[in-house]
Amino acid sequence: MKMLSLSHVAKNFGGKQVLRDVSFSVPEHTVFGFVGQNGAGKTTAMKMILGLLTVNSGEITVDGMPVRYGNTPTNRFIGYLPDVPEFYPYMTPSEYLRFCGEISGMPAKETKSRCEELLRLVGLEKEKHRIKGFSRGMKQRLGVAQALFGRPKLLICDEPTSALDPAGRKELLDILTAAKEETTVLFSTHILSDVEHICDEMAFLHEGKIALKGSLDEVRKLKKASAVTVEMEYPEDTKALRQAFPFLKAAGKNSLLLEEAERLPELLHWIADRRYPVMRIERQEADLEDLFMEVVGK
Amino acid sequence: MNAFLKKEWMEWNRTGRSWILMLVFVLFGIMNPALAKLTPWLMEALSDSLADTGLVTTAVQVDAMTSWAQFYKNIPIGLIIFILIVSGNFTAEYEKGTLIPVITKGLSRRSVLAAKAIFLYGSWTVLYAVCFGITYGYNAYFWDNGIAGNLFFAAAYTWVFGIWTVALLIFFSAVSKSSSQVLLGTGGAALGVYLLSVFPKLDAFLPARLLRGLDLLQRAKSPGDYHANIAVAGLMVLLCMVLSVGCFDRKQL
Repeated sequence: MKMLSLSHVAKNFGGKQVLRDVSFSVPEHTVFGFVGQNGAGKTTAMKMILGLLTVNSGEITVDGMPVRYGNTPTNRFIGYLPDVPEFYPYMTPSEYLRFCGEISGMPAKETKSRCEELLRLVGLEKEKHRIKGFSRGMKQRLGVAQALFGRPKLLICDEPTSALDPAGRKELLDILTAAKEETTVLFSTHILSDVEHICDEMAFLHEGKIALKGSLDEVRKLKKASAVTVEMEYPEDTKALRQAFPFLKAAGKNSLLLEEAERLPELLHWIADRRYPVMRIERQEADLEDLFMEVVGK
Repeated sequence: MNAFLKKEWMEWNRTGRSWILMLVFVLFGIMNPALAKLTPWLMEALSDSLADTGLVTTAVQVDAMTSWAQFYKNIPIGLIIFILIVSGNFTAEYEKGTLIPVITKGLSRRSVLAAKAIFLYGSWTVLYAVCFGITYGYNAYFWDNGIAGNLFFAAAYTWVFGIWTVALLIFFSAVSKSSSQVLLGTGGAALGVYLLSVFPKLDAFLPARLLRGLDLLQRAKSPGDYHANIAVAGLMVLLCMVLSVGCFDRKQL
């Protein structure tokens, strides 16, 4: 069963074509990563799913129902966390969540218990101050709570981790993983490691088209071995190393970049033979850009 | 929609908007009779210096009419302050994006618009009634309201003018993006109607005439003379609301 599907969706703002031909679908109970560079059109696509923007051509359905712009009945199935969530600053978090319960027509008793449960989940249960003084991270947490409030069938998060510190990021990813039991998650990001941690499926958006989509394993197979950085202690050793292996690239003071990771043992052998002191050998996380460039063939 | 009304109430109270407006309208309510009461005393205090310039003051007669004249002079200023303070009621939400979580939870746009409209019409009505009530009370205490004719008709007509202005505000709030656009639209439309009223033929049915309550109090006009103006104001309110619903449904948030 498809929870969400986009078929041949296109969107332009004035003369600027943001989305050309976007088609993908999200099966029920999956965490779906929606990846793309900044400005690729991820937010635009999400806003169209929510009926906040008109669609120029193509069709979007949520739980089998077509999405309509303006008054959007399909929004009843959706929980949405905007990229920069904004709430009424004069309310406290629990007041805001109660307000969410009331507008979605939840009974008062259920609203109260759901409110406590979610505040605990996002770690805001002791927060009695008004939203006015909240940091972006705290607003993000409240944003997660309000998005999950109505037990949505589909949870849409727009770059949920980008404003959070490493601890908060991990917590948020845990929350999204846990949410998979109850709902389907679509989240956008440009951080590849987030996708690797929690996603079942993903789609790459590039130049207004889906450049790649599939399960995480399928995508991983496309990824080549990552580059390695070697940092030596002394400049003369660095120089010697570079003379012996001319394909190494300079990457800062005493640092060399090895792009062909399969030659690493050879390199290590050479260093070990000469007993050169090494500061650090680091495998570079293949960031999105790298993989992306591979995928789109640039 | 009830939840959104509750939210508006909380917003008005916690941002201090309701208190400021209440203060302004209570002050205006007190000022009308107070100024009337103080006029003779002021004249007396100034009579010496006025005499020096060659002006001779005689005893000034004040009554409830003097106070009501003040009321009809001040209420347009009260309305302008009201419009200034509430002009951001919609647009602040567009600019900050606070409506997005609300709309994406499935609350219909019409409920949002209806709640806001009810709140704006309601607060104008309450504030106006408070101002009128205070002036009425003082006037009855100091003098006699009986001197003023068609008192409640005059008051109701001016209230209708306020409702008409609020309807314009709601319409411009539904179509524009910032509060300055709302002010420009509402102020421009109101001013335009006011200027057109210079022509007697147009004045006979434009809403601006509803503001001149004093004509009714002095019995220069009778309530029946204003039927056309009321009808036009009513139709425009209706039109504004219909257009607002249409525009707000299609608005990009």
